[in-house]
Amino acid sequence: MLDFTPEEKKIILFLLYLGFCGLILSNLIKAWPQTKKLVYPGVELAKVNLNKIGLEEIKRLSLIPPKITRQIIEYRKVHQRFTSLEELKNIKGIGPKRYEKLRSIFFIE
Amino acid sequence: MKRPLVLFTVFYCSGILLGNLKRFNFWVIIGLALTILCCINIFLKKNRIFLILTSVLTIVAGILSLENYRRVPSSHINNFIGYKSNSLYCLKGFVDSDIETKNNYSEFIFRPEEMRLEKLGWGCCGKVLIRTDCLKDLNYGENLMLIGKLSRPNANVSGYKNYLMRQGIYLTMQIKDLRQVIRLTGKSGNPFLRFSRWLRNKSEAVISSNLEDIPASILSAMILGQRRNIPWLVNDSMVKTGTVHILVVSGFNVGIVAFISNLLLKILRIPRRPRLIFTIICLLIYCFVTGASNPVIRATIMGVIFLCSYFFKREPDIYISLSLAALIILIVNPQQLFDIGFQLSFASVLAIVFVYPRLKNLFGGIFSKIKILQFIYDSSLVSFSAWLGTSGIIMLNFRILSPITVLANILIVPLATLITLAGFTLVLSGAFCPFLTNLFSFPASMLINLLLVLNTKLAKLPFAYFSF
Repeated sequence: MLDFTPEEKKIILFLLYLGFCGLILSNLIKAWPQTKKLVYPGVELAKVNLNKIGLEEIKRLSLIPPKITRQIIEYRKVHQRFTSLEELKNIKGIGPKRYEKLRSIFFIE
Repeated sequence: MKRPLVLFTVFYCSGILLGNLKRFNFWVIIGLALTILCCINIFLKKNRIFLILTSVLTIVAGILSLENYRRVPSSHINNFIGYKSNSLYCLKGFVDSDIETKNNYSEFIFRPEEMRLEKLGWGCCGKVLIRTDCLKDLNYGENLMLIGKLSRPNANVSGYKNYLMRQGIYLTMQIKDLRQVIRLTGKSGNPFLRFSRWLRNKSEAVISSNLEDIPASILSAMILGQRRNIPWLVNDSMVKTGTVHILVVSGFNVGIVAFISNLLLKILRIPRRPRLIFTIICLLIYCFVTGASNPVIRATIMGVIFLCSYFFKREPDIYISLSLAALIILIVNPQQLFDIGFQLSFASVLAIVFVYPRLKNLFGGIFSKIKILQFIYDSSLVSFSAWLGTSGIIMLNFRILSPITVLANILIVPLATLITLAGFTLVLSGAFCPFLTNLFSFPASMLINLLLVLNTKLAKLPFAYFSF
């Protein structure tokens, strides 16, 4: 027989745990689709909701000049909410380059 | 003296620092080095004088090494370009890096071998940073002919200019039109690097086809060192909690690669010595697959030294292996001493190796009877030691102080360990049994989800971090 060291046995055990964990999660998602939240990270963990973020929070991100930050908030006040990220292009000072950067930071909900 | 290599590494680093503070005349330094060498020969039998002279010689070697790195050869492309040049140059060479895509433009390093200006043509060497918004489907080693204006990096952005200079890049070229590019036949570059990149692309394909965008980007960073797709918010919150180091390939990953390759070879009944040699080869391949960044090179050299010590049946010494790793990196490129990645990588390991045992001795085995408490207590001490070693560098460079770091690391590092193990299992299963990848992707994704939730919550705690 192969003489495995205790460490190697732990690795084999880890693989078994991982496999069984995968099987359980796969079944859970099929049976209760709402458990997807448990497995897949929500977009809010990686991006900021443009319709919910406040003036101070945007300032704290220190990505956009204060003048444009104020304009974003004003635009949201006037139009109630952003319906798509494309609307950011309507704000003076947001060109294609800045838009591309902001697109990777914000999301709309 | 117990560890002379440690002392010589410190002196070599001092030489580089000195050479950076003041520029010395090359010939004066050469003369000084030769004089010291002669004196060493004379005082060979007097131990104390020998030690002093060799230490001074190591400092001089540091100065010379930096001076040598700064000097470019006569055929370097930098020598042919005026300070403000508006001419259209034609460069023939090959792609020497991966294509980095940022927002809507891409960047890559180009190695010119021949350049032309109107009807004049001559051979050249060096590196040029190419920035383009139209070329995306390029690979390492592809032969190209590029036509465009060459310019120097923006002097106003001194940090960026210095960063490029540390990589030996003095010129940039903008490619805005596909007519500026002619694709040539054949491939250049190192075949080993081409193989490493092919392996990395295959591994990345396994990850991205089995995981969603966010978990895939995090796993690619953690096990393949590919950070380009990490969302800004994730990176920012990890910087705030002081856990961004888990997104970098480090010693732990190198250890896993060594362990897995050793285990597979053991299962195949390969004898001990060939097994160690093959494990070393695997470590070197992994180093290049992950882009050979400073932390990976450090960890790989340390890993190779440890494996060699088993090979030659000698006791490995962590201080000597750490010094040798630093020395090798600095001999190849002395400018790396000023790289934050290099400083953080060595400072954290040094702090853990030096401070942690002392702290443990100071407080004793408080929870030695309860295993889980002892584990938490040890983790806290390791985390605190690393924080002590790196907080100064982080405060100076990133202007952030994160008291949450110690707690965050206690919670996040074990989780990151599990994610890394699950990630390696996923990639390996993609290579050996693809029908299992889907199964292994669920736990990996769940663990990454947990990591993100935990990190976001920690960053939002009051007094978690102070930026100034």
